[in-house]
Amino acid sequence: MSAMDPTEVFRQEASELFEVLEGALLDLGQRPDDRELVDSAFRALHTIKGSGAMFGFDKVASFTHEFETAFDRVRKGEIKPTQELISVALAAKDYIRALIEDPQSTDDIIGEAILDDLKRFVFPDQPAAPVAEIAEAPPLAPSESKQTGWHLYLEFESHILRNGSNPLDLLEDLCKLGPCFVVPVTDGIPFLDEMEPEDCYLKWDVKLHAACDKDAIDDVFMFVQDEMKLTLSPLEQVEAPAPLPLFQLLDEEPTPVAEMAAQAVEVAAAPVAAQPPVKAEPKPEAKLESKSEPKPEAKRDDRGIATVRVQAERLDELMDRVGELVIAQARLTQLASSGSDLSIKMIAEEIERLASSLRDTTMGARMVPIGSLFGRFRRLVHDLSRDLSKPVEFVTTGEDTELDKTMIECLADPLVHLIRNAIDHGIEDTATRSANGKTEQGRIELAAVHSGAQVLVTVKDNGGGLNTARIRAKAEEQGLIASGAVLTDHEIHQFLFHPGFSTAQTISALSGRGVGMDVVKRTIETMRGTIDLSTRPGQGTTVTLRLPLTLAIIEGLLIRVGEGRYIIPLSAVEECVELTAEDERSRGRNFLNVRGNLVPFLRLREIMTASGAPDRHQKTIIISTGETRVGLVADQIIGNHQTVIKSLSKLHSDVTIFSGATILGDGTAALILDVAQLVAMAQSKVEKQHISEAA
Amino acid sequence: MPSDVTEPKWSLRLPADCSIAAIRSVYDLIREAFGRQDRLEIDCSSVDKADVTSIQLLLSTARTGEAQGRPVVLTSFSQSLRNTLRRAGFASDAMIEQHFPQKKDGT
Repeated sequence: MSAMDPTEVFRQEASELFEVLEGALLDLGQRPDDRELVDSAFRALHTIKGSGAMFGFDKVASFTHEFETAFDRVRKGEIKPTQELISVALAAKDYIRALIEDPQSTDDIIGEAILDDLKRFVFPDQPAAPVAEIAEAPPLAPSESKQTGWHLYLEFESHILRNGSNPLDLLEDLCKLGPCFVVPVTDGIPFLDEMEPEDCYLKWDVKLHAACDKDAIDDVFMFVQDEMKLTLSPLEQVEAPAPLPLFQLLDEEPTPVAEMAAQAVEVAAAPVAAQPPVKAEPKPEAKLESKSEPKPEAKRDDRGIATVRVQAERLDELMDRVGELVIAQARLTQLASSGSDLSIKMIAEEIERLASSLRDTTMGARMVPIGSLFGRFRRLVHDLSRDLSKPVEFVTTGEDTELDKTMIECLADPLVHLIRNAIDHGIEDTATRSANGKTEQGRIELAAVHSGAQVLVTVKDNGGGLNTARIRAKAEEQGLIASGAVLTDHEIHQFLFHPGFSTAQTISALSGRGVGMDVVKRTIETMRGTIDLSTRPGQGTTVTLRLPLTLAIIEGLLIRVGEGRYIIPLSAVEECVELTAEDERSRGRNFLNVRGNLVPFLRLREIMTASGAPDRHQKTIIISTGETRVGLVADQIIGNHQTVIKSLSKLHSDVTIFSGATILGDGTAALILDVAQLVAMAQSKVEKQHISEAA
Repeated sequence: MPSDVTEPKWSLRLPADCSIAAIRSVYDLIREAFGRQDRLEIDCSSVDKADVTSIQLLLSTARTGEAQGRPVVLTSFSQSLRNTLRRAGFASDAMIEQHFPQKKDGT
């Protein structure tokens, strides 16, 4: 195994931090007084800055520093995070992301413009002043006679440097509170042989001459408070600053630390000269232990091993191996069952049990909370809401629901389409909503929930609902249905998934071209999922996606049709019934009676053009997608089968009724039936039958 | 700290990047140089990226040399390294001199 490129590690970590930052900024728009959100955004910024500098992304570090400095006024509660400020902050976040992911695409001018915008909101009275200068200006020194201060002792945990934190930045921040005298404590520096070069051994003894309160000091260390020991005690009387010659020795431009110290000299030089410093060594009992008391070691260790970052390709590779193992195990089981050796049978059973357990564990390792996907849409809703001037509340639930990582990746685009449609077409403008007695702010809910072996993802809006009459008129206009044909509302709504179908009066940047819903449906079906629409006029629309948990290994029902064997995904199977003589007599109409309900069926022998005589007792497997049920008639139901899904070659790309293939225990291949396609085929047959009967 | 350091016979020039991203390789370089020579001169003129780890490594090198009676001399501190030292609280040349053995003919 090769180690991951550190830069790549930074990119990945930054990507996660951007999600946190974006989430916090968007939430701030809703809850501007939530301090936790401000701190969360600030923490993310601070880590991006620190890590960026550590990994050589100097532009990132410098831009983020400016951003952070400006945002500091929000953190201090000096300005409110308005919607305008949030929008600019989001743009700044996008710019930093571009600097990391695609620096070629960025332009310094854009970065400067964003920072200018940021300054305009953050420093409305001083538009021309550079952010850094204003923020870094030291607070006014209190009068000498009343001057108080703090004595700090800083001891960081050894790993602090590895996660991007920089004690020197913290010292600089501390110096912004007032004149500081920093003395490095070098006692802990080990000999070379005992040294871990990335560990932190230096400690600092700091005298801060400022009448700030303890909270201001805690603020400086808030992001590392769990990783350091900060001992804080008040200085009883202001000590003299370090002797003047110390700073006169510096021949270069003063750094902020020296600068602050030099200012301290100017302020306090006279009294100090007249009066020797009174050493105010902190008394042990007077020492204030800040909230940065380190946590017990054991607890930290637990946290350290709780998660491991693994490359996605390795998980795919592992899944492939498990797939091969499952196939080999199926062959072993078949071989064992055909022999009479009891011990071989026992081993085969044991291996079957282990393979099944390994499969579940591996699939579990690939599961990712869907919340990682949901977070992305908050920005989409925010931007669309602003662009369309439709205030929208975006609510997500079920973020912890887990789904295979491949499914999460495939789900992103369909959800973008659905959410865009919901805002563009579903949610009415504020005037219409008010006229209809609704709140001006629309609402979109994105939810995920487990339902058996499936995950249901719903996009629900409280807009005007689908205009069934208009959809029908459009379908008639496009020749999709005969004028006056009797169709249920549900059937009419299905036309929305027809390629090129759109009821939008005008084509906008967002929608109206009729491209989208059919693509959404196709994508969902490729994932062996289904899509369902329900709507209530004036109250909104709900789109429900039903998705399998994984795309790699599924439970299947193995059937035989003629000489061929096929797999039906078990999640789509409702029940199996025998095809009765009465159903047989319905030949030509192809409906069977299931407890009083007529269910259309397809004879797989006809579809597969199977040779040979059919079995005497034909079996019907009832499958369903959403609300539609269809029977598939086969010669034999062999039983459950752990199905490792293999893609079909390009040669079979035009065969629509199969979604993949698998290898059976005897080494032969079986094709996996595409349930959605078969249901569509059955529906089409029924419609044709209706039309021919009507004719 | 030795103030009358004898002229070292072997010189090591530190690379430009002595920050945490590259400190492991710098550490290896110094240890390797220590293994070869009794007296070591470390040229710091090329350092343009320094941080806490660089400071610690130089302090440890000086301390190890002193403990083993093997003189270590640091020469030509770059501006970047000086700035980092000052940010860490080594605020004057005198203080730097106290912690880091340097050539008398100027650094």
